Amino acid sequence: MGSVDKEVELKNRKGFWRESLNPWLVRAKNNPERVAYVLHRVTGFIIIAFLLAHILETDSPVWTQYAPINGLTAWSAWSYIMHVESAWYLKIGEFIVAGSVFFHALNGFRLLLTEFFGVGIGKPVEPKPPYEAPTLSAPQRTWLYIVFVLSIVLWAFSAYLIFG
Amino acid sequence: MALDFEAATRIPPKMVKIRIRRYNPETKKMWWQEYEVHAHKGMTVLDALLYIKENIDHTLGVRYSCRMGLCGSCGMNINGTPMLACQTQIAQVASGGNPVITLEPLPSFPVVKDLITEFTSFFNKHKSVKPYLIRKDTEEQETPKGHLKMKPQEFIEIFQFSNCIFCGLCYAACPVTAADPEYLGPQALMYTFRYINDVRDEGHEERFAVVDSENGCHRCHFAATCSAVCPKAVDPAGAIQALRSKLFKYRLGFYRKKGSKPLPPPPEKGERKPLPPEAMLVPGANLEQLEKEKVVISLNNK
Repeated sequence: MGSVDKEVELKNRKGFWRESLNPWLVRAKNNPERVAYVLHRVTGFIIIAFLLAHILETDSPVWTQYAPINGLTAWSAWSYIMHVESAWYLKIGEFIVAGSVFFHALNGFRLLLTEFFGVGIGKPVEPKPPYEAPTLSAPQRTWLYIVFVLSIVLWAFSAYLIFG
Repeated sequence: MALDFEAATRIPPKMVKIRIRRYNPETKKMWWQEYEVHAHKGMTVLDALLYIKENIDHTLGVRYSCRMGLCGSCGMNINGTPMLACQTQIAQVASGGNPVITLEPLPSFPVVKDLITEFTSFFNKHKSVKPYLIRKDTEEQETPKGHLKMKPQEFIEIFQFSNCIFCGLCYAACPVTAADPEYLGPQALMYTFRYINDVRDEGHEERFAVVDSENGCHRCHFAATCSAVCPKAVDPAGAIQALRSKLFKYRLGFYRKKGSKPLPPPPEKGERKPLPPEAMLVPGANLEQLEKEKVVISLNNK
């Protein structure tokens, strides 16, 4: 392919991100499960990142003996890290982690029920117009709304604990 | 996607702009092209595409066959949602405020030309789950002497899944298929469940071995977009979850397969029984004479 052709092709594309994420950005009506799927992945990554940082934090009295922070080692480094973490911008991070944990745990419980035990996914029916899949109106949909509402309520409560 | 009855009664904008992502396999060039089409009430997207093909641009590549949502050939991405072009009304996807319809080939499929996509790997995956009845007694299956017994409620359990038209919309909508091309996909896994759920089938062990793999049913993350876009309410998402719970039971040793035995063959034809007396001719009536007589049926009493 010549450079001119490539230029024309790139100009006519919607953009690199839009193009590479195209199958992920499929829109479908009546499908909050997909929102839950994306949120479950994103919150999973947030929790993993937090866990790694948390290990480094709780282990700081040990590793600072080999790599001191600002010349501080062991428990003095620990108190320094605790002091840094009490800043408001890191509290926001803590707040995001709290919300992620609530959503991931509650939605994970719903997924455990549906995926392993086949509960709440509805039963096969004789298809009739307007052809709506029974799973989309099965109990799992109600559980999903409960998960959304409960995680928001718990998130608000965690804001009271963190900032209050 | 569930049918939108209300859209059929709506009046679409007079002029719609159809924006198509085109691809030429010879020059390997991809570009966006726009067409303007006069829309009328009840016009589908496929009607608009055929109008373009007949009157504006003959080089446009579209695959279609039945025009009534039965063959599953015309699946495409309409405004970002995988849909059948023949079942989608213009009024459903365009309005006076936004008369632009964006058409793209189905995602997760290699493009052949314009809106036509390649289904080879899709059908190979379908074949890999052995989509046919497997009986242990193969001799009886080849030369059956009687029917296999099946209750109406057992039939309903598989009927919904048998309605699949292989349009590939579920496969295109699945976020896992987009990330992992080796994943069996919603359609193949749904068909596995359809045969495992069938009381006449005895091949569940072979099928469990196929789907219990890295690219099998464990890859599903229940985004349920496959069920949301399915035009026939086949519900692949529910089928995969049910398949997974069955596999879980099977691996723990709790799974019991419902069986079906062949019914005894029907009795052989004997001599014909005489008709009952009420079906016989009235005594004294001449059949030949009656056949010759003209029959006059008048709706007018005069």
